Amino acid sequence: MTEGTAGMFSGHNTKGRVLIVDDEPDVRKVIKMALTKAGYDVIEAEDGEKAIAAIKEGENPLLLDVIISDIRMPKVNGVEAINYFQQQWPSVPLIVLTGFPDMEMATGFIKKGIVDYLVKPVEKEKLTAAVAKAIDQREITRL
Amino acid sequence: MTHTQGETPLVSERQAETQPRINVVILGAGKGGRALLESFLNLPRIHLIGVADKDEKAPGLKLARRHHIPTTQDALPLIQQPDIHLIVDVTGDPSFSQNIYRHKHPNAEVLGGAASKVLWDIIQHESLMQTRLFQAEKLAGMGTFASGIAHDINNPLYIILAMAEAIQDETDTASIHQYATSIRDAAQRIQTISQNITHYARASQSEESFPVPVQETLDEALKIAKFATKFHEITVIQNYHDHITIDSKPEELLQVFVNLMINAIHAMENQGLLTLTAENQNGVVLVSIADTGKGISAEHLPKIFDPFFTTKAPGKGTGLGLYNVRSIVRKYKGELTVDSQVGKGTIFSIVFPSVDPTHK
Ligand SMILES: Nc1ncnc2c1ncn2[C@@H]1O[C@H](COP(=O)(O)OP(=O)(O)OP(=O)(O)O)[C@@H](O)[C@H]1O
Ligand SMILES: [Mg+2]
Repeated sequence: MTEGTAGMFSGHNTKGRVLIVDDEPDVRKVIKMALTKAGYDVIEAEDGEKAIAAIKEGENPLLLDVIISDIRMPKVNGVEAINYFQQQWPSVPLIVLTGFPDMEMATGFIKKGIVDYLVKPVEKEKLTAAVAKAIDQREITRL
Repeated sequence: MTHTQGETPLVSERQAETQPRINVVILGAGKGGRALLESFLNLPRIHLIGVADKDEKAPGLKLARRHHIPTTQDALPLIQQPDIHLIVDVTGDPSFSQNIYRHKHPNAEVLGGAASKVLWDIIQHESLMQTRLFQAEKLAGMGTFASGIAHDINNPLYIILAMAEAIQDETDTASIHQYATSIRDAAQRIQTISQNITHYARASQSEESFPVPVQETLDEALKIAKFATKFHEITVIQNYHDHITIDSKPEELLQVFVNLMINAIHAMENQGLLTLTAENQNGVVLVSIADTGKGISAEHLPKIFDPFFTTKAPGKGTGLGLYNVRSIVRKYKGELTVDSQVGKGTIFSIVFPSVDPTHK
């Protein structure tokens, strides 16, 4: 199975490192395709629990530039995961990407400090723009 | 100790149980008496000794009998019992109150007249609030329902759009083939959702209901369920008693059975015993579908009828199956119950009111 061009980029000299958290393999694949093409390095997790485990067990949060997460998932759902990330790694910017076109939920999350609330189906350009914006913010907090 | 909002009422009820019981008699079983009885039934501290009303058919007496509380048409012997703490008089008959004081056991207090009217008002207000709360919950449920649909459609939609775009940029045939497969899977998911929704939305209207033979419908459902699943090692037991019908639309009854059977087969992971039962019992029709599958955990049990609740992998279940089953069963005044043991199996039973030919 081919997984886009991620292999070529992973590790070094990419525009940034993005963690995708979504329970659907095809959704992860689609996001990954868009982001690797735009020059990002991508890692995946299928739910919040796995994402937390991934970061705890090796994925260095300092090297992680953006987390993109759905909010409805089994086990540890995205909302719980987002709360956890914000507490543990407040400097890693978060983007919600979900099927819920819900304004109230969106404003609620933005108030809590996420960078963007995107609704599926999202255009490639919008997705990459949101990631770029998140990384800019990340740079600022790093300085 | 953790303390969440949801637990609070439970805690106070438990405290109440340890407080001394209050033995109560209700006099008058009309509308007021019935409402009072209904509230008292929920209060663990109150122990109902009996309910009295001159009218044998009073609604409160019926309710009391159903809860095995002694009823009588003659109040006087009842109120003479020595262990009574409180007599609540909602007969609305002032001359009767003289009688109560004359005959009651000296230790029993009486709550009557204006006091009982105030109590009645409080209870009415309470029940109004309950209705409002129920309606609010229903509305909230609709919201969950709508955003659930949006979520379940937007995921595959995203896959379709993005995969189609990827095909446009792709020259490798193997990859194109893969993307096309993903698109087809995603489109099928949307199709399933839309079928489930329209089935449900379409519910009433169209042709009339008529007595549909249960046995034939179960057999047809079994055929469909076999098609829809890998059936290999499932043994089917059919306990049919003859000539049972349910007043319904055949395709709706079929939908109920198919959904329950597919769930049962999935739960057994294609191996086990599926028992289908249809019988007449004390004037009602009982249909049950039992499996020897993995069962439903206590944590999931209260949620299985919620729209979009599913434990199946994304794309495998919409979680609308049981939701639709229950709405159809309710439409025909039936009652759907579930009994499950983790690791042993699950039985879904439906009780339908029997068709009485003399009423037609
Ligand atoms: N017979 C059964 N044994 C064990 N679990 C069951 C059974 N029937 C239902 N369930 C549980 O209830 C959940 C909800 O069932 P429901 O039929 O509503 O949705 P679903 O089967 O997941 O999806 P679909 O919309 O395709 O029917 C299931 O995912 C499963 O966890
Ligand atoms: Mg089902």
